[in-house]
This record gives sequence, structure tokens and C-alpha cells, in this order.
Amino acid sequence: MIDWFLAGWVVIGVSAVLLLLLTLFFRLRKGYAARRLTSVDAFRTSQFVSIEQGRFRQLLLGDQLWTSAYPGLGLQALTILPKLLDVESAVDGGLSLSAGEGSLAVFARQIIEGRYTDGFSTALSSSGVRSMMPGVTPLSLTAGMLSELSAHPHGSLGLLGHLSPSVLLLAETVQNQKGHVFGAGGSLSAQAVLYPVVQDLLLGETVYMLPGLIDPGAGHQAGWMTEDILRFLLICGLIAGAVLKMIGVL
Amino acid sequence: MRRILISLVALLVGLLVLAGYFFPFQLSSVLPLIIDAALLLVGAAGLIGIGYLVRMHVLRLARKERGKFFSIIFLIAFLIALVAGLALPPGNTFYRNLILGVQVPVEAGLLSVLAVMLLVASLKLIRTRGWTPLSIGFLSSALLSFVFELGFLQAEPGTLSAELLSFLERLPWIGARGILLGMALGGLIVGLRVLLMIDRPYGEE
Repeated sequence: MIDWFLAGWVVIGVSAVLLLLLTLFFRLRKGYAARRLTSVDAFRTSQFVSIEQGRFRQLLLGDQLWTSAYPGLGLQALTILPKLLDVESAVDGGLSLSAGEGSLAVFARQIIEGRYTDGFSTALSSSGVRSMMPGVTPLSLTAGMLSELSAHPHGSLGLLGHLSPSVLLLAETVQNQKGHVFGAGGSLSAQAVLYPVVQDLLLGETVYMLPGLIDPGAGHQAGWMTEDILRFLLICGLIAGAVLKMIGVL
Repeated sequence: MRRILISLVALLVGLLVLAGYFFPFQLSSVLPLIIDAALLLVGAAGLIGIGYLVRMHVLRLARKERGKFFSIIFLIAFLIALVAGLALPPGNTFYRNLILGVQVPVEAGLLSVLAVMLLVASLKLIRTRGWTPLSIGFLSSALLSFVFELGFLQAEPGTLSAELLSFLERLPWIGARGILLGMALGGLIVGLRVLLMIDRPYGEE
């Protein structure tokens, strides 16, 4: 019998080695070309258009940092955050970050503080980006966010991290205000409910490509290639397993 | 210096927790300490989060923004829940009923609104996405799933039609597993990137 526990650790070990080697490789040589996603371009454009029109922008970092079904989604939202906090984002004070869990809100605040004290002009301050926690459960988060979105017309809403299907209400609210909605997160059910209404939506593993698409670096390119190699090996393994099962070996 | 120290602490703790899966007996004295510290930090972060929530509503009141009436209701409800939570023991029936008596109907109301919105959203699908193979596939598979879930279609066990019906009922789960496998791989890579300090969201890269 296959020891699945050991198999899992082999996958983690192989991924770590591949990630390190490929990062080194891409730092020395030309990068790994990834296809452009028009959804990401539309999201960035909507952010700049919102600033020009004096409208608010909202980034929802999800309702939980860690879940057993989607363990990486909360962390993914936090890794995207530094890429979205550029100089322009704090200029008008119209960018807000929301989270549905204390740890997410605290980490987000820390990232904002670090970003503006380390790298940018002293003329800008971290107070230009508001962070808040409108609710502590998925539905109370939606209720709190609905109140916030209705109070100020929003030009852009970015949905990141782990989300529940109730985010559909937020997407509809912003779209009714002629705002742009971008989805790059969510559970499977959240992605399914957003699919019919949100044009710019990243599905499945493309969600994890977002940080590299905004700011491609050797680490992200190594991540993409490692993921591609693992995906290929997994497909081969699944096909081999199915064939062996059909002929009665497994 | 501070940034290097933070990165090193994150790396060491992460590797120690990982090593705990391989050597659970050797690290049995260290791992509970790390997990307890993490739980304490998560608890403290939760309290800070509640602070954010209260501050948001207090600021809305102070600035006389739109929706301040709801902020008043929130602050009153929060104070009642806080005082009752501190005064009464955690398992108190009155306190539990007080909280659930508000939370359940409100959440049920929101879910019913969501159900209506879902219906409207499904009608909007073609307008948003157009007649593409993906949108047609999405709509038809959603409709077929509904039909199969209703249980009206039945077949004689052991026949070809029963096998076909069973396959069609399992089909959405096969698709879901495919997406979940992809997301699991993505999650693994994100975790490793942070653990190996290739990605450092808590400091400059």
C-alpha cells in the first residue's frame, strides 16, 4: 500500500528543491514567460480610473486567514497586498482594506506600515490606506461591507483570499454603482456564484498567479514553473493510477 | 537588522513546525510551546480585530457619516454582548439564546436575499459572459445538477442507464476535485515561497 503521508512529504520536498533551484536559475537567466491575463490589467486600470474620478477603492482580504479546505488562500491575499500598495494608492486616501478576521486585519496593517516606512516618500503616510474589520463572521462581514459600500460610492472592489458565497451581494452593490469588481480568491462556491456576474474573475489555481502577474520576479516565475511541473507529474500519476486500477494492479 | 531578525524567526519557526511532522517524539517538548504561543497571538489578534470593528463604527459616528444609525445599533448591541459575556459564564443558556436569537434570524434573512440574488445572477450569465462554450457549459451543468439533485430521475440498479445516471451525478464532483487539486498546488507553492523567504509580505523584497 502507498504511504500517502510520506508521498505528501515527498511532494513538499521536491517542490521546495525545485523552487530554490528555479529561483536561482531565473535570477541568472531570462525569466519564464507567462500569459497575460486581461482581468488583471482591467483591475489595475479600474484602480487608476477610480483615483482620477475621486472614487473609493476597496480590497477585501477574505474572511479567514487559514482554513483546512483552502489553506493557502489567506496567505495568498497577504502576499498580493505589497504589490498593490504603490505610491499612487495612498495619494487620495481612498483605498480601504477589509478583513473578516483579527489576524488578517493585523497582518494587513503591518504590511501597510512596513511598506510606507521602508520604501516610499516621507510625504506619504500609511494613514492614506484605511484598514478595517467590518464583521467577524462571513455573513456579518458581508453585512458590514454592504453598509460601507453603500455609504461611499466605490469605483473598484478587489475580492481576495478566502470568501463565502455571500460576496455576491458585495459584487452586485459595487456593479450597481458602476464600479469595477475583480475576483481573485474565494472558495469553490464563492467562485461559482461570482462567475455569472463578475467579468474579471480568476478561477482555480490562476488565483495564485496574481502576485507575479502584477510584479513578475524570479521567485514568482520559479513558483509558476514548479507548479507546472507538479501539475504535469500529477496528471501523469492520475492517468497511471487509473490505468493500473483498470487492469487490476491497484 | 530588524527585518532580517523577523525573517529568521519566521523561517526557524516554520521549519521547526515542519520538522515536527517528521520527528514528533523528539520535538514533543518544543511544539506545544510554539502552538500555544501561536494560539495566544491569534487570540490577541482577534481582540485587536474587534478593536478595529468598534473603532470603525465610533469614527463613523464622530464624522457623522452615512449609516451612523446602524453604527449606534451596533455599538449598543456590542456593549450588551460584552457586558453580558463578561458577567455571565460561557455556557450560560440565557447568554447563548440572546446571541443566537439575534444572529440566526439576521443571517437567515441575509441568506434569503442571497438566494434571490443567485437567481438574478444566473439570469445575467449570458449577458455578462456572452454565448461562449464556458458559459453554456456552466449554465447547462448547473441546470442538469439541479435536475439530478431533485431525484426524479431513477433507473433500475445494475443497468446501463443506472451507471450513466451515477456518472452524471458524480461529474460535478470530478470537476470540483480538479479545481481543488490545482488550488492545493498553488497553496503549497505560496506557503513554500513564504517559508523559504522568497516572498516576504511582512518586509521589503
